[in-house]
Amino acid sequence: MAFTLRSVKVPPNSASLEEAKQRVFDFFRAACRSIPTIMDIYNLDDVVNKSDLRSAISAQIRKNSHVTNPKVIDMLLFKGMEELNNVTEHAKQRHHIIGQYVVGRQGLVQDSGTKEKGLSDFLKSFYKSNYF
Amino acid sequence: MAMRAAILRHIRLPARAQTLAGPRSREWSLLGSSASRSMSSHGDDHLTKEEVAERVLAVVKSFPKVDPATVSPDVHFQNDLGLDSLDNVEIVMALEEEFKLEIPDLEADKIDSCRLAIEYIYNHPMAG
Repeated sequence: MAFTLRSVKVPPNSASLEEAKQRVFDFFRAACRSIPTIMDIYNLDDVVNKSDLRSAISAQIRKNSHVTNPKVIDMLLFKGMEELNNVTEHAKQRHHIIGQYVVGRQGLVQDSGTKEKGLSDFLKSFYKSNYF
Repeated sequence: MAMRAAILRHIRLPARAQTLAGPRSREWSLLGSSASRSMSSHGDDHLTKEEVAERVLAVVKSFPKVDPATVSPDVHFQNDLGLDSLDNVEIVMALEEEFKLEIPDLEADKIDSCRLAIEYIYNHPMAG
């Protein structure tokens, strides 16, 4: 019920880029206002602050900031609304939230090579091949 | 028994006479009008402008994209601090959380600088 109420709020088409921008800001405000509820549901108080969550949400929005077609923006907003609904109605679990919005922003461990940061050059080339 | 009653009646009369006397009632009315509720802390709810300014600046300085050294009470979010409109909305949301307010969208769109933020929050009756 809460899901259908919220998803109805996004009407089918934005007339212009300006209107789409306003919708994005409204969505962002709605998301920020539900942050205390989210932190309460998933017991995130010792893992992250509210301001970090806000920054995570704004980073996600900014990833798509290069889009200029209002219809695409509407579609992205719809997906964002759906995600927000899922999170607030506890359809996700704590490890999803932590993986996607708290830790996951720094990228996957295997991609960023954090395990290899403390190694010396000798060891790095040693692990790569026999001949160096 | 009768004497006791008579004595009590005699003792009671002066007390009533005193409360009806002019000076006592005038004192009470003076106290009622001028000092009003001197013990009540009702007026402390409003924040002082310095307190509002201090807290607003603290919120802006702790924003991750902002360099704390450039923040002053007159700074404009987009022009001086190099933020974009989404950052503006985020700062307004951070201020909403700090002062336990809910700022309507029309007003929130106008808050562009520290000066406006301090003005708005200072004039808001529910700022806490």
